[in-house]
Amino acid sequence: MHKLETEVLVIGGGATGTGVAWDASLRGFKVILVERRDLTHGTSGRYHGLLHSGGRYAVKDPHGAAECIAENQILRVTHAHCIEDTSGFFVVLPEDEGDYPDKFKAGCDAVGIPCTEISVAEALRREPLLNPRISRVFEVPDGSSDSFLAAHATAQAARNAGAQILTYHEVTNLIMTGGESDRRVAGAMIRNVVTGEEMEIHADITVNAAGAWTGKLAAMAGIQVTIMPSKGTMVAMNHRLVNTVVNRCKMPSDGDIIVPSHTVCVIGTTSVNVPEPEPLRIEPWEVNKMLEEGDKMVPGFAQARVLRAWAGVRPLFQDTYTSGKGRDVTRKLALLDHQEREGVGGFLTITGGKWTTFRLMAEATVDDVCRHLGTERPCTTATTPVPGAEQGNYWLGHRLHDIEEQHLQGQLVCECELVTRTMVENAARRNPLLTLDDLRRDVRLGKGPCQGGFCTYRGVGILHEMKKAGSWEVDMSDEAGSTAKWDVAYLQSPGHNLVSDADGHQSNQHPANTADSFNPNLLLRDFLQERWKGVTPILWGRQLKQERLDELIYMSVMNVDHLPDKELASPVTDFYRFDTRPTVEEVADV
Amino acid sequence: MFTESWHSVGPTLDECIKCNICTSYCPVSAVTDLFPGPKYVGPQAQRFRENGQPQSPDHSVDYCSGCRVCNEVCPTGVKIAEINARARAQIVAEEGIPLRNRLLGRNETLGKVGSVAPALANFSLHNSFSRVMAEKVMGIAREAPLPHWSTTGTFGDWFKKTQSVRLKSDKKVVYYHGCATMYYEPFVGKAAVAVFEHNGYEVLVPPQNCCGLPLLSNGEFGAAEGYHQNNINKLLVYAQAGLDIVGTSTSCTLTLKEEAPELLDMHSENVHAITMATWDIFEWLRERHGLGELKTDFSEMNMVLPYHAPCQYRAHRIGKPARDILVLIPGIDLRESQARCCGIAGTYGYKKEKYQIAMDVGAELFNFVADQGEAVEMTACDSETCRWQLEHGTDLPSRHPIEILAAAYGLYDLDKRDLVNR
Amino acid sequence: MSDLLVIGAGLSGLMAAYTAVKAGLSVNVVAKGLGSMHWSAATIDVLGYSPAQPETAVKRPLEQIPALIKANPQHPYALLTNEHIAQALAAFVALSKDVGVPYGGAANPGDNLLLPSPAGAARPAYLAPKGQLAGDLSRSEPMLIVGFEGLRDFFPELIAENLNKLGYSARAAFLPLKLATNRRDFTNVQLAQGMDSKEQRALLGPALKKLLRPGERIGLPAILGIKAHATVLAELERETGAPVFEIPTLPPSVPGVRLYTALRSYLQNLGVNLTAGMEVIHASAVAPNGTPGSIQWVESATSSRPLKLLADKFLLATGGILGGGFNSEMNGRVWETIFDLPLTVPQNRADWFQVRFISPEGHPVFSGGVTVNKAFQPTAGEQPIYGNLWAAGNLLGHCDTIQERSMEGIAIATGVAAAQALSS
Repeated sequence: MHKLETEVLVIGGGATGTGVAWDASLRGFKVILVERRDLTHGTSGRYHGLLHSGGRYAVKDPHGAAECIAENQILRVTHAHCIEDTSGFFVVLPEDEGDYPDKFKAGCDAVGIPCTEISVAEALRREPLLNPRISRVFEVPDGSSDSFLAAHATAQAARNAGAQILTYHEVTNLIMTGGESDRRVAGAMIRNVVTGEEMEIHADITVNAAGAWTGKLAAMAGIQVTIMPSKGTMVAMNHRLVNTVVNRCKMPSDGDIIVPSHTVCVIGTTSVNVPEPEPLRIEPWEVNKMLEEGDKMVPGFAQARVLRAWAGVRPLFQDTYTSGKGRDVTRKLALLDHQEREGVGGFLTITGGKWTTFRLMAEATVDDVCRHLGTERPCTTATTPVPGAEQGNYWLGHRLHDIEEQHLQGQLVCECELVTRTMVENAARRNPLLTLDDLRRDVRLGKGPCQGGFCTYRGVGILHEMKKAGSWEVDMSDEAGSTAKWDVAYLQSPGHNLVSDADGHQSNQHPANTADSFNPNLLLRDFLQERWKGVTPILWGRQLKQERLDELIYMSVMNVDHLPDKELASPVTDFYRFDTRPTVEEVADV
Repeated sequence: MFTESWHSVGPTLDECIKCNICTSYCPVSAVTDLFPGPKYVGPQAQRFRENGQPQSPDHSVDYCSGCRVCNEVCPTGVKIAEINARARAQIVAEEGIPLRNRLLGRNETLGKVGSVAPALANFSLHNSFSRVMAEKVMGIAREAPLPHWSTTGTFGDWFKKTQSVRLKSDKKVVYYHGCATMYYEPFVGKAAVAVFEHNGYEVLVPPQNCCGLPLLSNGEFGAAEGYHQNNINKLLVYAQAGLDIVGTSTSCTLTLKEEAPELLDMHSENVHAITMATWDIFEWLRERHGLGELKTDFSEMNMVLPYHAPCQYRAHRIGKPARDILVLIPGIDLRESQARCCGIAGTYGYKKEKYQIAMDVGAELFNFVADQGEAVEMTACDSETCRWQLEHGTDLPSRHPIEILAAAYGLYDLDKRDLVNR
Repeated sequence: MSDLLVIGAGLSGLMAAYTAVKAGLSVNVVAKGLGSMHWSAATIDVLGYSPAQPETAVKRPLEQIPALIKANPQHPYALLTNEHIAQALAAFVALSKDVGVPYGGAANPGDNLLLPSPAGAARPAYLAPKGQLAGDLSRSEPMLIVGFEGLRDFFPELIAENLNKLGYSARAAFLPLKLATNRRDFTNVQLAQGMDSKEQRALLGPALKKLLRPGERIGLPAILGIKAHATVLAELERETGAPVFEIPTLPPSVPGVRLYTALRSYLQNLGVNLTAGMEVIHASAVAPNGTPGSIQWVESATSSRPLKLLADKFLLATGGILGGGFNSEMNGRVWETIFDLPLTVPQNRADWFQVRFISPEGHPVFSGGVTVNKAFQPTAGEQPIYGNLWAAGNLLGHCDTIQERSMEGIAIATGVAAAQALSS
């Protein structure tokens, strides 16, 4: 069996895991990160994208709020291109009046969150669709983040510092050594989920950054870490109804925040305890609640076109879990040293927290790694921009601008989100790609109004052409990460994806990789189903009409239901196929 | 800066199902790569625009001529042309307005200035030296069909002068003449007055000003709002008295009805009263005909008449009322054009960078006219700028259908373009 | 004022208008916008897959219809005899020749064609435009599928590979995009318009001939001209000496645009005024005691006051959820937008969908619609709801025309039948 040695093994390719890999490799450790799916498959890829100012925690959790504002300022520099400086409003609706607004302002002042009360007229001038009945508005430095791009950029920074990032590599077991008194985690058994190959990774220290799967992983070491998965449902609207993050100025609850994110705006969230992190069903009352609450902040919201709904889980750590309501738990990070807690060496768990504080969580974790490995190396992530940050802050118009400047209209594959053919080709060459869903996370393919109606076919066709031409040979083999020329900092930028870069990684020692296992018909069916899963909870009115057009294209024009290779399935096929339809009882409840 | 609300056109982008039917029928993107098409610059690009971005991300929206073929063919009801007009206004708000567009937007001022000494003005504007200079300095295409000021006085002069002989009646109608009739083509107004009076209506011509459309299409929303408000102030009393406000310019009546309120987000009761009181003249005549009130004492006309319904009818969404009336006239062999647009689109084709696009777009119409054979002596179209473009593109005279109708009543001489003395 | 106002400019509306004007009625057509034909492959699908056997393409659709009706007695085809259906299809074929966009069927009369889809599957279709006929997979010549480099809507390698997997002989080749267009930015329709120009297509035939091996036929994306399509097709076949066929691809559909524009101008010449961009928003009806109601007029939205559209008879052909004939909302309500006719669509969102997007059973929300009697009058119970209202096309309930591949067959057969019923 194949064996790899490393100093630090990070399990989990979300914000936290990539952050740990980045931090540890910057401090000179040899690092391998394994992720069982694509980067940000879990919670990091399933949230509304808020870069917290800390305002949401200013009253209840001043410590968390202080962490947020500090990290907010850091990420604006280190991950500039992943962040849009939208600013944020906390608005007081008539029903929200009381002493909370003043407490909020005082809370912000106490922890140093810049917070200015602005006039309602000024707020309405900037956000004309806001409810004119609001009585007070506070402005704070909230922002909007792209957690997909951020994880890629962080991972690339880690790679540039020597880390290996292995996606679609699943931990099948932990390697345990020692006896009753000196048990240690010495690494993990890994399975390449594409090829089925097994290997061992031996590590001096293993970091469990598996998010909602943290408990399952710890259990492999015989350790109980109780994670309460708390589901949060979010709803994306067809276009931006606000350009500023809009929060209700009251104690956090369901549906009280609208985040503008790329071309859409997202309203979130609910908070429901669930037994398992996957699959997450979205119930009609949740969608209903989001739209109702959205309508309070932006009258008319509930009648606007809804694109999609999804849910993520907050991995709330049981030690801090006190009441029955997920959101009431302090969302602070939990770093568990299993040597101290259970006497199991070489194993740390980092969980809890939120996207905004992922760098801080990584810093705390790697500090502990240093302590365990008996070395002192300072953290430099706070002052080291990741690749791509030189592009400056994201702005909504950049794709439209680039396409016009460079005359790329004829190249568009995804017309809704302005993804060019070259962006697709470069993403496929430079990033392991098992499904079109991965491409969606990379370049936003299929995320717009038609939800893959036109670009699924085009994406599959382009990948198939690349495959046939031999110009797509991404190496998913187990050494690939260290040698491949990765450059994902510009994944999302049409202006930087002008020509096909033929010098993508060419070596292909291992016969089985994603490109080799590529089957266009499977890809087509998987992505159509993946998109379906997220639209069924919100399918009525305009989106239902859109879906019928998509059906006409794929059934009537393409006849994809009678393509060959019906028996094929990918490791994620089943994940896309769970039942997302509302039930009779759920509908009756609304 | 204009405001935005749920009443405005923006949210209709939610209706788009990306089917690209609009792009397939867009006459502008059919002839140039400079315009990526209505879906692209409309509902698609709009998702990437927002107030307060560091810059307007795109400028190709400026190549939308506003012909509204897209609106007409869209199966889901996206107000594409209006989305584009708003995006243009955003660019103007950021970047200011070129002198040329300022001028073209101020039809009324130009009209007034030129009418002080129309012969001189015509010479100054229309000699080849001036046109070259105008192109160089301001970017007004030297070949473009600019109008000529009336040398026989304005429509207002004539109406005032003939007050004593005008019909008095219990049945009254308010005539909205628009700038072109006032300063360039008073004969259209005379024909309209003759038709009204022939049908027993007393014509009122209260003070009024430019509808503001040229400003809207050049993105000057602030100034346009002032114009529309003035018109409301001047015309409201008539609307409230239950009188119909009837215009001969399809673009002016459209602006009064819908374009100004929608784009400028003006939704008061008074604005609505003007919307509901305004009629295109043939829409109004067709309504009279439906009620059996239109006189049909036509004389035989004996002509082959290619007729092009102007783009603004698309936005009126009232079908083709001039066709519906003209076909009642005996002897007219009406040949209805299916061409999408004449190309001129208001002031679009005057601009140097768009002149050739406008001519290429218009080719469909010019060829249609040519295909109708030698017997054709003139064409007809309801909109003034389209007629000028038609004449420019076909070398045939073009007439407003109201001139044809007045002639059919025996009230008007189509060659002299004046009332027949009876 | 006209004898008949048709609401909707899809295939059923236009076939109805044609039938009625031929029967001597004066006819106007209004539509909110253009639709159906511009999205589809523009073949006439009568019955491609029967719900009883969703995996196997129907070989002889008209012969399969009795079994279909037996299983589903309320199916729109059950309102007609096979003879009616065949006559309506024959009328369409005749009309297609008259308008200059001729359609044909399989070599063996009564069979479905099997045409290559842009994904490389075999599409069953009963009739197809002349330009698609040589693609019939029941023919034996191997296929050369030719695309243009960088064209985003056509992937010859994918088509050829899947056709091979399905047992058909095909290979792929590419030509430089400049042989198809000099434009930087284009849709398929604009590419096709470009092909109308002789200069643009001058090099295409010789380039194709170079790629060709003896005995092959050539498949190209459906961009071979709009107005000059017949000429382009004939030219290419002459220059290459091989049969040439088009494969329609993503909307907007070039064959659909050809058919629509040809039908439209033909109807216009017959005196049918077709106005798009007019959305009917209201109907005014009277219903004296105990009698079916009667539509007095309908109103369409304008820039100002609604416009009254008067007619003796009204034919509703606005399509279903996609066409815009129905709308739906979050609480599960689905309604017909003009007359609020009763619909068979389940009024509970929990009953709308299957788990999988690709489901042979179809999603129930899409198979509901208007119920009509044998005279194509919308009914509540046995009684027509309005004495002067008829309905045809994809708004009819009791079938999923996309799953069955029966969209155009139903549109034509019911459009013609409804117009005959109201003309008699």
